[in-house]
Amino acid sequence: MSVSRRNVLIAGSAAGAFFAGGVRDPALALSDGADIVEGIIGATAIESDRVLLDLPAAFPNGATVPVLVAVDTPMTTADHVRRVRLFAPRNPIVEIMTFGFEPELSLPRVSARIRLSEPQYVIAVAEMNDGAALLAKRFVEVATNGCPSQ
Amino acid sequence: MSLLHPPRVVAPASVAAGEVFQVKTLIGHSMETGLRYSPDGTVIPRNIINRFVCRYDGKVAFSVDLHEAVAANPFFEFYLRATKSGVLEFEWSEDGGAVYTLARDLVVT
Repeated sequence: MSVSRRNVLIAGSAAGAFFAGGVRDPALALSDGADIVEGIIGATAIESDRVLLDLPAAFPNGATVPVLVAVDTPMTTADHVRRVRLFAPRNPIVEIMTFGFEPELSLPRVSARIRLSEPQYVIAVAEMNDGAALLAKRFVEVATNGCPSQ
Repeated sequence: MSLLHPPRVVAPASVAAGEVFQVKTLIGHSMETGLRYSPDGTVIPRNIINRFVCRYDGKVAFSVDLHEAVAANPFFEFYLRATKSGVLEFEWSEDGGAVYTLARDLVVT
């Protein structure tokens, strides 16, 4: 094939479309790290709609990313959540924090701020009183490293 | 110093019985991760708030175990259910054993 102006233009636009498509969804290229989290908690976690994990899809500052986590449960003695654990599988230290709740006294809804070192899935695991581990995950793209070495 | 500002709490002074109320807490703390190096190449030792507890009328109502990935100046917004009048006690424990506390009276009507 001769290198004509037309062929160069066609090849260039095809490559451009390929890279644009790749950049548009970095979440697809990354594993969610759920296997790392299951190794830490020592149990199999089931993805569930009862756990709400809300984080911005993209955030400029990795040092202070807002997070909201809530669990759908009546918080009675018979049906409540004991703990909610947060994980960042691609951080240098994977565990972020653990919230402890008490039936009748507290509601399972908390806002806080976390550090993320790079774009990744954040994972919440709710440990229910019947022993079930319910999981929710959200992909967050941070622009700066929240765990710097300087 | 790792404590940058003493703790602050926003909680209602009185609530109707059975109502859910919001509590917001903040402590000014650098949350030094232990992953950082000073300019002369030595590791800056870890110094974080590692536990937060909120007691309502003497009973633990809400608690947090904090690790290195909690942002500096740990902030929490959480929700409690009003049962009876009592004291809300807040306690932040720092690496090395220092404890910072705050208390608020709650009247349940």
